[in-house]
Amino acid sequence: MTDMLLYNNLYIYLFVSLFLLCCGIGGLLFRRTLIGMLICLELIMNGAGLNLVAFNRFLAPQAPYGMVFTLFIMGIAAAEVAIALALIIVIFRRFKHIEAEELKELKE
Amino acid sequence: MTLGELIFIFLLFVTFCGALTTVIARSLIYALVGLVATMFGIAGLYIYLNAPFIAMMQILIYVGAVAILIVFAIMLAGPFYKKPTEWSKVTKFLVSLIIALFTYLLFMRIILHSFLGGQDTAFMITTKDIGRSLFDKLTFPFELVSLLIVVSIIGALMLAIFSKDRK
Repeated sequence: MTDMLLYNNLYIYLFVSLFLLCCGIGGLLFRRTLIGMLICLELIMNGAGLNLVAFNRFLAPQAPYGMVFTLFIMGIAAAEVAIALALIIVIFRRFKHIEAEELKELKE
Repeated sequence: MTLGELIFIFLLFVTFCGALTTVIARSLIYALVGLVATMFGIAGLYIYLNAPFIAMMQILIYVGAVAILIVFAIMLAGPFYKKPTEWSKVTKFLVSLIIALFTYLLFMRIILHSFLGGQDTAFMITTKDIGRSLFDKLTFPFELVSLLIVVSIIGALMLAIFSKDRK
């Protein structure tokens, strides 16, 4: 009886993380400013973490490695956001805009 | 349909709407609000996956740290110049939509044809087990992540200090 429940299904979680991945890819291509692209990148990382925890829950329930690597993903995402936002602020100071299409050169 | 399933469907709705808002919102602040809604929805899904510690870490790290950092960046760089045009080209929107849908269909086909079974197994992993494996077996990656965070903090400080007045 319990496997009839909706939330005890692996595919639901896989579809959610897949939806997040595709939203992230579409946003990365669609957004024009660097901060918008960074926000969409966060969507992709959330989808990856959800995927790892779902696989750990349903396919390998003996050891908590999926959860541990989701924690690693969170730490790496925090570090990446810090570096990326520092770079975006530097780019804004120098070029006075943060639109990705206009950034054609590394140095003026 | 039980109450748990209704709450689960509500969480799925919040996650989907947040992700769509993140992609197609015109303003960056609204996109960030959509991202925060997505993160809360995913934290609820983590609770349904029997991982409440990961859910709390999701809210603490993503909503508490990452979203606040992005808000600071938007306030420092965003609205002070001309309005950031996010919606300019229809062709670009169509191209990104087509690529995203193609990716979705491809991965959905792969997922539907590769995994079978693995439904509703017994799952009794607590936060204590996570801590055990984090400090017993995975000590080296843990230290590497801490080193990575320290390096990124120093790098962000260096970028902020040494590129101040180049003009």
